[in-house]
Amino acid sequence: MSKNTIIKVEGLSKQYLLNKSALPKSDTLFDNVLTGVKNIKNIARKTETQEFWALKDVSFEIEQGDRVGIIGRNGAGKSTLLKILSRITPPTKGRIEIYGRLASLLEVGTGFHGDLSGRENIYLNGSILGMSKHEIDRKFDEIVDFAEVEQFLDTPVKRYSSGMYVRLAFAVAAHLEPEILIVDEVLAVGDAAFQKKCIGKMKDVSNGGRTILFVSHHMASIQSLCNKAIVLKKGMVDFPLSNTDLCLKHYLKDVVAQSKMQLAERTDRDGEGTFRFKNIILKDKEGSVLNAAQTGSDLIMEIEFDLKKESLNNLSLALTIYNDEGREMFTLANHISKAPFETVNKGNVIQCLVKKFPLTSGSYLCNIIAYKDGIVQDYIQEAYNLEVEEGDFFGTGKIVPTTQQSFLVENVWQLK
Amino acid sequence: MNKDKIIIDPNLSSFFSFKELLKYKTLLSNLARRDFLVRYKQAFAGIMWALIKPLMSILVFGYISSKISSTGNTTTNFLYVASAMLLWQLFSNVFNEVSNSIVGNANLFSKVYFPKIVIPLSTILVCLVDFFISLIILVVLFIVSGQSIHWQLILAPIFILLTLINGFGIGLYFATINVKFRDVKFIVPVILQFGLYVTPVIFSTKYYTDRLPEWLHWLFCLNPMVGAIDGFKYALFGGEAIYNVNYFIASICMSFLFLFIGVKYFYKFERDFVDYI
Repeated sequence: MSKNTIIKVEGLSKQYLLNKSALPKSDTLFDNVLTGVKNIKNIARKTETQEFWALKDVSFEIEQGDRVGIIGRNGAGKSTLLKILSRITPPTKGRIEIYGRLASLLEVGTGFHGDLSGRENIYLNGSILGMSKHEIDRKFDEIVDFAEVEQFLDTPVKRYSSGMYVRLAFAVAAHLEPEILIVDEVLAVGDAAFQKKCIGKMKDVSNGGRTILFVSHHMASIQSLCNKAIVLKKGMVDFPLSNTDLCLKHYLKDVVAQSKMQLAERTDRDGEGTFRFKNIILKDKEGSVLNAAQTGSDLIMEIEFDLKKESLNNLSLALTIYNDEGREMFTLANHISKAPFETVNKGNVIQCLVKKFPLTSGSYLCNIIAYKDGIVQDYIQEAYNLEVEEGDFFGTGKIVPTTQQSFLVENVWQLK
Repeated sequence: MNKDKIIIDPNLSSFFSFKELLKYKTLLSNLARRDFLVRYKQAFAGIMWALIKPLMSILVFGYISSKISSTGNTTTNFLYVASAMLLWQLFSNVFNEVSNSIVGNANLFSKVYFPKIVIPLSTILVCLVDFFISLIILVVLFIVSGQSIHWQLILAPIFILLTLINGFGIGLYFATINVKFRDVKFIVPVILQFGLYVTPVIFSTKYYTDRLPEWLHWLFCLNPMVGAIDGFKYALFGGEAIYNVNYFIASICMSFLFLFIGVKYFYKFERDFVDYI
């Protein structure tokens, strides 16, 4: 163990037991009594337990001052790892040694109460995060400044705009002064300007010699904040703690491989599942199937799906396209450009036409989501790997070098 | 360089640590503050409700008691019922709030680490504030009726503390069960409703023991609130409130037994709460 080691994780594993008994899941005392009675009959038969290892034999050492990004798909065990490190849930096996005061920020505004004023919430939230009254007193003005809520300090936070709420919540957390800070995706909230401010604040924190562990789906944030990273996959270390760029490269290669899988076979999806994506096919205007989109040409994205019912009302769909650095390019959504589909029937296919496809050549990833009345039906991250070939966007026969831009926009120049 | 060293491993058992609790005293008071502030927000009568609720019970049960037991005069009867009722309501509030506190604050400890015992402890503070407000009723009754007080009054805090111990110990046990079985939410009011009638609130211990067969006396006195309420009455009125010293001591022993069981049970499962909630 090196002298500067601040966190040492050895053989960490976490097991969850699913469906503890083969009998239907029972959650009330009455049900338990009933199943108890039923069990007496076949007491010799062992109840089936399905084991699920959220983390398996994870080891690493973090040195003081490191800013470590934890990368992995949904279900890779990132959140479980953070929860164990923050002492929220105990591990099943393994051992962790932590040297220093640790604070975790798994959520923005933990314990915020809508009925309390901004001032009251600063004290409440601060103390939940482990600050003493004296510490909060000392930082109070700074927090209020950072959050830009001076005028509304005595207003209940339920009357705040969501932007103000998030700013205040992050401001409290940002003024913690632990030796180790654990952060989970909290930057996924707030507007772009505020996100930048947050990243800046976290950089300041780490420049003070403090250690940061950071989980995010936002590759760009990890790239700009972290100097080291580790890749988790299915609860195991997929790529050991090393330089951020190396890790990201490894991860993205893996993501692209996965996104080439058939959508119907994907299991890493969320949602109710009445509507499920089955396939995405690219077509040109004439309806012939394409392998890749072409810059400047009209593109039809055809979505095939399964329905559990005969028909579904009021369906919203959105498709977000990212570049290979994980930076969001744009979102195509039926409820924004027009309105949700009123009725979707079994056997329908959905088509989305993008006129004059604006992205320059390269490899892109799509997240897709379908929801009805605010309830997610199906959500798949990195669902589709969209290849874009270069094309003649302006109809002038010139191919635009991609190094200069990622988007092409129609523009007309005049000299008068 | 580093003062703190944290070790996390699966076998680490946690138990009550006063030192750690002291570090979280700001959280303790802020949680209590939150509960108190939020409770009467947007309620027109506000803090008055802390008076109205016990006052109604005292009026109803005081009337019933003076009609039925017909020993002594109505005023003393009212005073007896009022003092016992206030203490019973303290117990019932603590019991109820503590047993729901862990589930009710799951959003906190599933996101941040802190000793979970802080949550039920903070609810006690809130109940205690309510209790002190409701004591106004008793003070007014004492003044109006011209009831004199004795030296024993200095013992009263002991029995208030005993009541807190009762509510906390039993509440903690139920709070732990509540993590897995939400039935607790329905069971607790039933227990409390039943409890009111087997505790010397409306009638005295003597009234009960006179009417119960001998073998039931011990069972009656295994109710930990018997000791607390009889003791409280003794502190306020002196005299014969403690009907039988053996029963009294038995009841107090039960209080500490319940506390022990509650705390032990709580800490046995405390670390796994997040995985079951």
